[in-house]
Amino acid sequence: MSRAPAPGEIVLDRASRAFRVRRDRSRTLKELFVRRGHGAIHDSVQALNGVSLQIAPGEAVGLVGRNGAGKSSTLACLAGIIPLDSGSARCGGRMVTLLELGAGFGPDFSGRENIYLNGALHGFGREEIEQRVEEIVAFSELGEFIDLPVKIYSSGMFLRLGFAIAAHLEADVMLIDEILAVGDESFQRKCFARISERMRAGATLVLVSHDPGAIERVCRRVVVIDAGEVSFDGPVAEGLLHYHRLLGAEEGVPADLRPAVGAPALEISELELLDADGNVRHVYDSGEALTVRMRLNVRDSIRHAAVALEVRSERGELCFRGETTLGEVTGAVEVSFEVARLALLGGSYDVVVGAGGDEAPGRRQMDRIAQLTIGASEGGEGIADLRGRWSVAPRTSRQGALR
Amino acid sequence: MLVLRHRFLFEQLVRRELRQKYKGSALGVLWYLVNPLVLMGAYALVFSVLLRVADIPDYPLFLLVGLIVWVFFAQALLAAAPSLVGNAALVRKVRFPREAIPASVAAVQMVTFLVMLVIALPVVLAVRGTFEPALLLLVPVVALLFCFVLGLSLAVSVLHAHYRDVEPVLAAGLLPWFFVTPIFLRVEDIPGVVEREWLANLLQWGNPIAPFVDAVRQLLYAGTAPPVGQLAYLAAAGVLALVGGLLLFRRMARDLAVML
Repeated sequence: MSRAPAPGEIVLDRASRAFRVRRDRSRTLKELFVRRGHGAIHDSVQALNGVSLQIAPGEAVGLVGRNGAGKSSTLACLAGIIPLDSGSARCGGRMVTLLELGAGFGPDFSGRENIYLNGALHGFGREEIEQRVEEIVAFSELGEFIDLPVKIYSSGMFLRLGFAIAAHLEADVMLIDEILAVGDESFQRKCFARISERMRAGATLVLVSHDPGAIERVCRRVVVIDAGEVSFDGPVAEGLLHYHRLLGAEEGVPADLRPAVGAPALEISELELLDADGNVRHVYDSGEALTVRMRLNVRDSIRHAAVALEVRSERGELCFRGETTLGEVTGAVEVSFEVARLALLGGSYDVVVGAGGDEAPGRRQMDRIAQLTIGASEGGEGIADLRGRWSVAPRTSRQGALR
Repeated sequence: MLVLRHRFLFEQLVRRELRQKYKGSALGVLWYLVNPLVLMGAYALVFSVLLRVADIPDYPLFLLVGLIVWVFFAQALLAAAPSLVGNAALVRKVRFPREAIPASVAAVQMVTFLVMLVIALPVVLAVRGTFEPALLLLVPVVALLFCFVLGLSLAVSVLHAHYRDVEPVLAAGLLPWFFVTPIFLRVEDIPGVVEREWLANLLQWGNPIAPFVDAVRQLLYAGTAPPVGQLAYLAAAGVLALVGGLLLFRRMARDLAVML
């Protein structure tokens, strides 16, 4: 336990941290005197509750969880920004963090000057940064903006610069919080490629993200944090599924689709997205085959069981809805829905499923949700994949100039 | 120690501080130099010409030497107090030695103070016409002054982060503090303390910045070395303030990322 972690190694040992949620944030002297002896009025939130984790050098770990589950606190504790109440959090070697866009930047400094400032904040010296500056500038693709003050930067530009710095300083540990989502698809791809490069060089990554696609692309291992505890630690596919179950139990589902209270007579206990080879996956390309497989549990026996499936876009628009009746069902059954060709364009989608019983068919309770990401597609925008072929022919008669 | 190991970070933060202060200002850093000069002109007019309480040769020079010490002290504290709160985004999201923030703010004031000294020095030498070896004592005295100011800067910055009234209290307190500091006159020349030795002692030793003002003035203006007792006082004040400030900072800065 007292052994110092090797470069790139991360060890969390029964890490606990509670936050007091005060009614008002800032204290004044008056309160100090007036309240003395009364005890401040506040509630306590256990952000980390005895979390133990061991991450080996070169590992890429995705940290997921619902909002307020403790992901960012875990990262801040790992970074040494927030001290623990008990336990320990140690990272071996040098570390870079990318916890917030534009954090550690001087607004009046140019992009180039901020490379030095940011590097210095992460503990790097002038020579080390100087060696990397040109690579960082090139990676950021900021062009002439690199010599302008960063206060005029857009969030995408902050990301480009911030990521370029973090990924080019020779750090053993990289901690990245929910940042990459800001970048466009092509820059994201570049980031993931660079991250893989750093992994191969032996660097360790901890990535917090709500985007299963991002996790799937770079991580081999997922840690699901819920209510300040590790609720899952293992391979990505299972981890994401576990996470979706947590999500399905809460938000992400429109209010009218949320399961009613009380023990259900039937419920869907598992929901998986499978590719043509039967592997669980959440990222697909347009046109791929997809099988949605779910497990339906029936408490006793049900005469007219029905299952509904919806696909909604990120903004909640309904892209597809379909349902089927299953007849009489007893015990547990597996239901599959096969799509030969995913006619969706690049973006994030929710696959929501629900089951209903004897009552009048109509609105079903949607009780499971899975996130589906379609990789970027060229040649069209929107939701439906109606990409066709354009052609031009010389106009010979009255009809058909451009078909 | 800490400053040496994080020299580059420190330098970057000082540069950032300077840039933020003087963006879009025509005179830039020169403003720091204007302030003591304006004060010097005003007080010389009031005390020497209008009220005629100060019968001191080269009175503007006498004033200026005291004023630059005071301005350094006061400006450093006023700038350091809100520095952690002002850099909340940085403190919350990046790990680095937090001391670097108030220290870099104090350092900016230190640099202007040194520039003032460098400007004042040839004037002093020209007026006095001689170079006394005692002047070399200026180096340790200024070093101790910086320790003293740095220690207090660390303390007020972290106190302000916890109790947001520290800055206004400081701003309000510095003005009366200025008037009880022997800047216009030497303590022994103040009419009100004649025959009241306890008051003279209180003014001279009860106010920790007073011996610094007096020592720098003795060296620069009079060209004489301060007594050993006073030098010992400066050493004690400098070391105590720095150690105390650092300890307080370490203790109270633990949860900064959470409370800012």
